[in-house]
Amino acid sequence: MLKGIRAALARHKNKAIILLAAVAVLDALLIAQIGALHSGHASLAISFLNVGQGDATLLVFPTGVKMLIDGGPLDGRVLTELAKILPPTDRYIDLVVMSHPQVDHFGGLIEVVKRYRVGAFLMSARVSEAAAFAELEKALAERGVRTVTLGMGDAITNGGTEASVLSPTTALLTSKETNDACVVMEVLSEGITSLFTGDIGGKAEAALLPLITRRIDILKVPHHGSKYSSGAAFLNAVHPALAVIEVGKNSYGHPAHETLARLASVGARVFRTDEGSVTVTPHGESLQIFQ
Amino acid sequence: MVFDFFYHLQDTDLYGLKRIYTNVISCKLLVISMRSYDIFFFGALFFLLGVLVASVGVKAGALWLFLALELGCAVAWTFFERIPSRFQWRIARKGWLAMAALLILLPAGALYYTQDDRNFRAARLPTGKASFSGVVADDPKHSGTSQEAVLALAAPYTGNVLLRLRSYPVVTYGDELAVSGAVEPPAPAGYARYLTKERVSGVVAFPEFSVKGSGHGSRVRAFLFDVRHHVTAAFARMLPPEEAAFLGGITLGERSELSKEFKESLQKSGTTHIVALSGYNITIVAWAAMGAFVFFLRRRWAFALTVLTILGFVLMTGGEASVVRAAIMGGLLLIAREAGRRYRIRNAVALAALVMVLANPKVLMFDVGFQLSFLALLGIACLRPALGAFFKIPEGSGFLSWRDNLMTTTSAQLAVVPLLITSFSGFSPLSLIANVLVLELIPLTMGVGFIAALLAAAGEYLVLVCGWLAWVLLRFEIGVIKFFGSISLQFAPAMSVWLIVVYYAALVGFIIYVKRHTRRARAA
Repeated sequence: MLKGIRAALARHKNKAIILLAAVAVLDALLIAQIGALHSGHASLAISFLNVGQGDATLLVFPTGVKMLIDGGPLDGRVLTELAKILPPTDRYIDLVVMSHPQVDHFGGLIEVVKRYRVGAFLMSARVSEAAAFAELEKALAERGVRTVTLGMGDAITNGGTEASVLSPTTALLTSKETNDACVVMEVLSEGITSLFTGDIGGKAEAALLPLITRRIDILKVPHHGSKYSSGAAFLNAVHPALAVIEVGKNSYGHPAHETLARLASVGARVFRTDEGSVTVTPHGESLQIFQ
Repeated sequence: MVFDFFYHLQDTDLYGLKRIYTNVISCKLLVISMRSYDIFFFGALFFLLGVLVASVGVKAGALWLFLALELGCAVAWTFFERIPSRFQWRIARKGWLAMAALLILLPAGALYYTQDDRNFRAARLPTGKASFSGVVADDPKHSGTSQEAVLALAAPYTGNVLLRLRSYPVVTYGDELAVSGAVEPPAPAGYARYLTKERVSGVVAFPEFSVKGSGHGSRVRAFLFDVRHHVTAAFARMLPPEEAAFLGGITLGERSELSKEFKESLQKSGTTHIVALSGYNITIVAWAAMGAFVFFLRRRWAFALTVLTILGFVLMTGGEASVVRAAIMGGLLLIAREAGRRYRIRNAVALAALVMVLANPKVLMFDVGFQLSFLALLGIACLRPALGAFFKIPEGSGFLSWRDNLMTTTSAQLAVVPLLITSFSGFSPLSLIANVLVLELIPLTMGVGFIAALLAAAGEYLVLVCGWLAWVLLRFEIGVIKFFGSISLQFAPAMSVWLIVVYYAALVGFIIYVKRHTRRARAA
């Protein structure tokens, strides 16, 4: 009988090799999957993604919960950047936040919603008449994604992480300027505070001042480093250790040298996404930054 | 292309047709007895020749060629007895007469092309900045920041124009659009030729437009496009973008999602044909359809439905040249089998080319895909057996029969080298290795892709499991393509018409030499 098996093996040597290789690969995948389920992410990771002129930030909380704030422009570069960070079999994003309905912030989210399973889609009550925004709403409806409206005073808690919504107030929400209606979030996790500001300008910054009660470690610089944002009063209140500008090739002169000077004067270390995606993780008492 | 239907019959041995196929391949090169099948073959050949001469643009060239060939026939007929008998192509004297009669199809082909071209040029396009309307005539192509749609113009205008539009609102096949913009002649020349082949007369860049209505196209096509979109959407949900785009290319020939850098890697590594549909896709579809239908239905019904499925697949994927060719030849093979008739690859090739040229005479000269597909097929059908005999390589030898793949790739590549050099960046000798490494896994990847597409209808979680397996395979293939794309040694000498003629003459000479040699060896 052994002889028979040996003869059969010799005859189907190639097939046997393929079969064994396939089984080995599938086993490895399965083990990797199980491993991923158990380990989760040990610590917080904030990635400012290089998506060109636009915003996209992925936060992975210590529990492994993922929150994507904005998705960059329509060309879908956010997908490529996400693929670099998330494991290939991970097709789920817990929370997607849209700061405000401008195409350099939500454009990439259309494809994100189509391609990933999204736990919930969070946005302010501000909507847009743009054709692309209608497409986003269509994609959300088709994929059956729950949408939640956020406003000042709302908060999300997960494990030891707390994300509080500082803006928009009702007054800002109805402002003529869409940028004033941005969702601004302060995230406190593992003793690190970070502030995500969308495209806010002076008016919204002024409204934020009384709400900023502690020093911010990581600031997402408002409006791609526009000179009309990141006012001196605001920066003094926030006093960031690390400031990240999400910016790409543009004709608006972002980031403005005035803004860069103001950031330097409060002693912030400045990183820009047009030089590559920036990932920040806590490391003991300090921050580790990868670019 | 390389994964050609007929080559793959050897692996899959669809209905035990392998023997018939090898007989067909080894038939003598030029035994002209003017049976019905010869009449068809030469008739088609002359017609195609006429179309070719007309599309090159030599005025009255077809007429001169016709007269010269007629003269040749007359001479051959007169001096028939003097042709030494050791040439294989002794033909009955009346054969030359039949040939002379068939030659009339040469000017007919030229006329057909000219007439078609005249009709195309007669299109009435809007001039200057104008408002016009029409119906989207094909499945629009979407890239990140824009979409391209072919618009069939409505009265008072005629003809087709290409609309380049911002991404949203999304337009779909059969939509009625009202457009306000200027129709420009396409540029540069190469792109214009491509659009001419696509029967597009002008380009409108980013006009104002609105969608007036929908559902004006064929219901069947709209449904099939919808199926395709669902499949690509399923791929996009189960895989990262690069892998999803590549899988879409392998299974459905969907190339719009591939990044520019990756397309360049494909070209430099000589593996672009992998994302073009070909006989192999048809084989899988035919095999799966036949397998499924035979289970429930009588053989004859299963056969009919399989042919319909192939037709549906071709329509769904937008009728790319290589897949139409493969479908015609594959359909013919199935019909020959059902009717108990002999399948001649020579005539199948001629029929496929004839049907495609009748449908659009411009493909012969202006569609590189058409040319690549047919040349590669001829390479695999004629050169591959000769190479195998010359190097004395037994069938199916080597680990995963890599020698087979190497020979197929080599013969296909050798057959298209001049075209790669004149139409693309050139030819990389390393592409042979890249192909052997990748091609081995493509069938499996394709299979997983099609299964995933079917499972997508059942539920999202099942598809994810498929995604894991697909990801491993795709990652490897993409890795190989990128690696060979980065180290490509492009070989691109200056080509002239004469060099090309000499090159193909040498290939044909080699095939004839090997055939003679093996025949003599067998006789001895």
